[in-house]
Amino acid sequence: MAEVVLQGVSKAYAGRPTVHAVDLTIADKEFMVLVGPSGCGKSTTLRMVAGLEDITAGRLLIDGADVTHAAPQKRDIAMVFQSYALYPHMTAFRNMAFGLLKTTDLGKAEVDRRIREAAEILHIGHLLERKPNQLSGGERQRVAIGRALVRQPKVFLFDEPLSNLDAKLRTRMRGELKRLHKELGLTVIYVTHDQIEAMTLGTRVAILSEGRLQQVGAPMELYMHPANTFVATFIGTPEMSLLRCAVRPEGNGSLLQHERFLTALPARPDAAEVFLGVRPEEILISQSAEGITRGIVERTELIGSEALAEILIGRDRVVARMPISEAPESGEEVSLTFDFGRARLFDATNGRALTSI
Amino acid sequence: MVFGATLRARIREAGLAYLLLLPSLLFLAAFTYWPILRSLWFSFHDVVLGDSKIIWLGLENYQRLWGDRLFWRSLGNTVFYTVLTIPLAIACALLMAVALDSKLRGMAIYRSAFFYPVMIPSVAAGMVWVFLYSAGYGPINQGLRFIGLPDTAWLYDSTWALPAIMVMSVWKYSGYFMLILLAALKLVPSDLYEAARLDGVSAWDRLIHITLPLISPTLYFVVIIGLLHSYQIFDYVYVMTHGGPADATNVLTFYIYQNGFQYQDIGYASTLANVLLLFVGGLIAVIATVFGRRVHYLGR
Repeated sequence: MAEVVLQGVSKAYAGRPTVHAVDLTIADKEFMVLVGPSGCGKSTTLRMVAGLEDITAGRLLIDGADVTHAAPQKRDIAMVFQSYALYPHMTAFRNMAFGLLKTTDLGKAEVDRRIREAAEILHIGHLLERKPNQLSGGERQRVAIGRALVRQPKVFLFDEPLSNLDAKLRTRMRGELKRLHKELGLTVIYVTHDQIEAMTLGTRVAILSEGRLQQVGAPMELYMHPANTFVATFIGTPEMSLLRCAVRPEGNGSLLQHERFLTALPARPDAAEVFLGVRPEEILISQSAEGITRGIVERTELIGSEALAEILIGRDRVVARMPISEAPESGEEVSLTFDFGRARLFDATNGRALTSI
Repeated sequence: MVFGATLRARIREAGLAYLLLLPSLLFLAAFTYWPILRSLWFSFHDVVLGDSKIIWLGLENYQRLWGDRLFWRSLGNTVFYTVLTIPLAIACALLMAVALDSKLRGMAIYRSAFFYPVMIPSVAAGMVWVFLYSAGYGPINQGLRFIGLPDTAWLYDSTWALPAIMVMSVWKYSGYFMLILLAALKLVPSDLYEAARLDGVSAWDRLIHITLPLISPTLYFVVIIGLLHSYQIFDYVYVMTHGGPADATNVLTFYIYQNGFQYQDIGYASTLANVLLLFVGGLIAVIATVFGRRVHYLGR
């Protein structure tokens, strides 16, 4: 059991708040990803969990024990850094052994056994006598993970561990991390700015912006039911398109009025101005005139088997995804309709999600 | 054709490089290499300052040196001075640097304060320490009297004179070494310390197993610089004790000065200088062999 609980955890530097009262519970064996743009406070939050930053306000519990002000080594955690933080003058073996030999009563045989075991899991058995400068980025990353594994801590913290790797290696390491989490039953808090990493790795994902927790949930929940426009546009590539509309009551339902189209809604959202949020796959285009509105294709991008088209509807720009064979030409006028069954509405004044349509 | 053009360009580039090097090479040749060769030549002759008559002596100066009790004494003093002063100064510098390598407030003031002794000219510093050490009214003796200890004539006591100069040298050198070591400490990535802290590695183990290996190139540099400085020590001895009492503080450079400019025996002074050069060169070679291999260069 290694539950981590953040209760109103805040951080301020010289009186300036950077993390605002974060409430978050990471269950035992959960893979929690903290994601957000640069400067959103995700790394600071992770470092507060690690004990590398003081917690200005709030409480931190690991396994039920209050460790808010405990020294890092008293928290029984291990961390993998973005830069790997391997000791450059030590071999991979010594990097993994150093902490164990200096801080535990484990005999040399046990230390050796743990390292060999971790090395086998991470496929780095043949690299143990090499120093970090003789290892590739991916190998260094594995050694850094190995150093965390041999400690057998309650919680593993990862601070953007894949961001120094090339795209191909990153994908492979993502798979490896997922496998490790599953096979070893680790409790992980993982920080990244890459939403794809967050979506593919996390059991749950916590999204932060400007030091505030925006939404916590399973990846698909965030994708399908974003709590606000920030989450809606942050998760998903390309991002969700937002169209500003006015809402007019009409019978039991309402009318949604965009500068270029008018459509009836069965529900009556509690806002006068809304954003209609549509994902690229929820925009259907055709050359015939059967859609609810028309738009001008500004740009088409071919991305392998699919194409993305940026379409201007009045002053709003939307991105649609379609099979390559259906991709329109730049400058072409197309007819559009939206999959209203999946589209959602946000209050235009505060960005909060309203009922789905 | 292309090859010829490349070759011509390279020759032109090399020519320019030599041209730019020429002024400093000329200076080095005139004021360093030529005097070294000249002193080597002098060491085989009887040369008296101001006298144009030069008599060939062969190895006689070197034989004389072998039996010269004062030479051995000054060499011993120099080695004693070096062996204690440099490690002590480096240890103090390291402690100061580690203490200053934090983000606490006012560190710039402390840094300047520790570096201040370096900026004082050595002759002026020597004079100040003569005052500090002086019997009777010297602040150090006053302090000793205050805690009930007897007065000591530090610079006139053959037991204490050399250690007194060494204490002053540690004070003078450590600020300089501190600044160099501090620059090296700043280059050690902070996440290495953080990783070690998370592992629970103690501050002492972090210093020994992480900091020292990672600043070892700078430490190595400081040892060599310190060694060179300590074998050139002349000014403090000249100002504070003039080699006395009873040659207790006579170091090699001062003995060379005495022979060359007081006794005007340039031939013998050159012999001593050559031996000093060989000795220091040999010592550096030994240190480079023993210590140089253990140095770890970050990023390599």
